[in-house]
Amino acid sequence: MVIVRRKELSLRERLYLPEIARGLSITFRKLFEKPITRQYPEEPLPKNEVTRGQPRLVVKDDGNIACVSCGMCEIACPAYAITIDGGETDRPIEREPKKFEIDMLRCILCGFCEEACPKDAIFMSDELELADYSRAALIYDLEKLKRPKSALQKRIDYVYRLNNRWRKSSSTS
Amino acid sequence: MTKITVNGREIDADPKKPLIAACHENGIDVPMYCYHPGLRPVGSCRICQVEVKQGDAPARVVASCRTPVAEGMVVNTDSPKAHDVRRECLEFLLKNHPLDCPICDKAGECDLQDYSFAEGQTKGRTHEPRRKLEKRKSLGDVIVLDEERCILCSRCVRFFEDVTKKPQLTVADLGSRSVISTFLDKPLKGNYQGNIADICPVGALTLTRFRFQARVWNLSKHLSTCAECSRGCSVTAEVLRGGDTKRFRPRFNPKVNQWWMCDTGRFAFSHVNAADRAVALRRTAEGLEACDLDAALSAAANTLRGKSNVAVVLSPFSTNEEAAAAKALAARLGAKTCFVSPAPNALKDDFLHTGDPCPNRRGLTDLGFAGLAAADVAGALAGAGAVVLAGERVVELLGAERVAALTGTRAVLFDTHCVDAPALDACIGVPVHVEKDGHWTNVEGRAGRLTIARSAPRGVRALDLNLKRLSELVSPAGAKA
Repeated sequence: MVIVRRKELSLRERLYLPEIARGLSITFRKLFEKPITRQYPEEPLPKNEVTRGQPRLVVKDDGNIACVSCGMCEIACPAYAITIDGGETDRPIEREPKKFEIDMLRCILCGFCEEACPKDAIFMSDELELADYSRAALIYDLEKLKRPKSALQKRIDYVYRLNNRWRKSSSTS
Repeated sequence: MTKITVNGREIDADPKKPLIAACHENGIDVPMYCYHPGLRPVGSCRICQVEVKQGDAPARVVASCRTPVAEGMVVNTDSPKAHDVRRECLEFLLKNHPLDCPICDKAGECDLQDYSFAEGQTKGRTHEPRRKLEKRKSLGDVIVLDEERCILCSRCVRFFEDVTKKPQLTVADLGSRSVISTFLDKPLKGNYQGNIADICPVGALTLTRFRFQARVWNLSKHLSTCAECSRGCSVTAEVLRGGDTKRFRPRFNPKVNQWWMCDTGRFAFSHVNAADRAVALRRTAEGLEACDLDAALSAAANTLRGKSNVAVVLSPFSTNEEAAAAKALAARLGAKTCFVSPAPNALKDDFLHTGDPCPNRRGLTDLGFAGLAAADVAGALAGAGAVVLAGERVVELLGAERVAALTGTRAVLFDTHCVDAPALDACIGVPVHVEKDGHWTNVEGRAGRLTIARSAPRGVRALDLNLKRLSELVSPAGAKA
C-alpha cells in the first residue's frame, strides 16, 4: 500500500491568480498552434502497407483474376466469411471462381486468407471503411472485391518482404 | 490361410491375394497408385514397395502388389530401405506431374498429394522442363483427360480390360512420350466410363459434369443407394454445403456393386437437385393454396373420410418404411394398393444395370403392392372414390396429364412438386431419396440403406410420418373405418 500525502501548496499557488494566468497562457498559446485533432471522415487516416484492411482479390496485369478458386482461404477463414464456387475456363489456368463472396460483416480482418493463398490472389487492402444500409449489401461479390494488382502492389511487396525468410519466388505466373 | 509377419505382427493372409491386400486388410498402410483391389495388379508405379525377408536370403525390396504371400514371410513396410526406395519412386512420378494442386480437381482426395505430403518431398532435383502435353483431351461425353497429370498407372486401361471386358484405352507411344489414349482416338463408349475417374489416383481423368464444380473437402459424404435401377448399388451422395448433390460415387459393397456403378446412376442428380419444391397446399375456393402441413393433412383426411373404393398408388421410389405406412393407411381405408411401374429401359447390360427403373420393386412387391404400368394405374383410378398418390416422382411417372385428367374422383398427392389438377384436394411435399432415411430392397433381395444427406426443404416431413398422421386423422385409433 502506498500512502500519497497531499502536497503542501506554496504561497504563489495559494494566491490562486498567478496559476490561473499561467493556465490561460497555455490555452492561448495552443490556439495559434497547428491542431492535432484529425477531421476523420474528411481527412482520412494515414495508411501504409502494414495496414491490414479488408481483403481484396488481385486482377493480374493481363486482366484475368489471379484466383483459381482452390478454396484454401475458405478453409483458413476462422470466421467462415468466404464462400467460393469454382468453374472451368478456357485459359491455360483452367480454374477460376464463378462466385467469390466475402461476408464483410463476418470478416475479422485477420489476414489468414492472405497467408493461406497459394496463388497470391487475395491481399489485405488498405480499405477500412465499411458501412451500408443493409446486411445483404455487405456480402461482397467478385465485382466488389476485384482490384488491379497495381492498387495492392505496396501490400504485395510488404508481404513478400515479410515472408522472404521461407518463400523465395512468386508462385503467380 | 498363410501366416506372415508384417512389421513384427503376425497376420493371417489369404494366399490368393497379393501381399499389399494382406497389409491393407490388417490396417497396415502401404501406399498404392496402380494397385486396385478390383483390378489385376501390374506393378507399374512401384510405390507399394516393402522390404521382404524370406528364409535365409537377405532382405529384398519388392513391389507388394505383385508379390504373393508365402508362409513365414517377414515383411517390413517401414524400414529405412523401403522408405528410401519409395521416396525415389515418388520423385520419378513427380518429375513430370505438374504441382498445381490448387487448380487440380483431385486435390483433397489425391493419393499422390497425400503421399508426397507424408514423405515431405518439397524439392525435385531435376532441371529438365516438364512434359508439355494436352491438358484437356476429351475422351467422350463423360471423361476429360489431362495428359500432364497422368502418372501412367494404367488403372483406367485395366478397368476396361478386367471389369467391363471391352478394352477401350491403352498406353500409347513409348518411354517418356507415353500417354493414355483410346484406340484410334475414338470417344469412349459404354455406361461405365465414370468409374475410371474414381479410380484414377491423380487428377488426370475428371468427369466433365463434376470438373471444377466443388472442392472435395466441401462435400459432405453420406451413404446412400442408387435410385436408377433395381440393382441398388451402394453409393455415397456428396452434398455441397447442405445444398446441391454434386455427385454420386460407388461405395464398396462386395455383394452388390463391388467398387463400381454406371454413369446413369452417377449423374442422376437433376431430379434430387430440382428447385421449387412443394411443401403443403390445399384446395380453397381460389384453387390450390399454400398452407401449413397440419391444414393440408386435415384437408387430405376430409377428402378420404367415408369414401369407399379408395386407391393408394405409390411411387417405385418409396422406401419399405413408407410402403408399410401406406399399407397401414390402405388397411384403414379398405383401399386397393399398387405402385407405378415404369417399363424396363434399354440400359440393361450384363454387368450392373438391370434395366428396371424401379429401385424398390422387390421391396414393394414383398409388401403386397402390385406393380402396374402408368396407363393401367390411370384406368384403375378412373372409377375410384378417392385416390392417394404418394412418393417422389409419382406424378412424373404416372404422367402429369393423366393426373390432370382425373375426373369423378378426388385426389390427395404426396410428391416433390405439385401438379395443376382439378381433382386434387391437397398436395403435401415429400423428401427426395437423399433427404430421407429408409431402405430399398434390390433385385436380389438385399436391403440398401438410404440416409439423410441433406435436410429437406423447410416444412417437408418424411412421407411415412405424414401417412401415419393421415391414417390417424382419417379414422382415429380404435375406431374402424
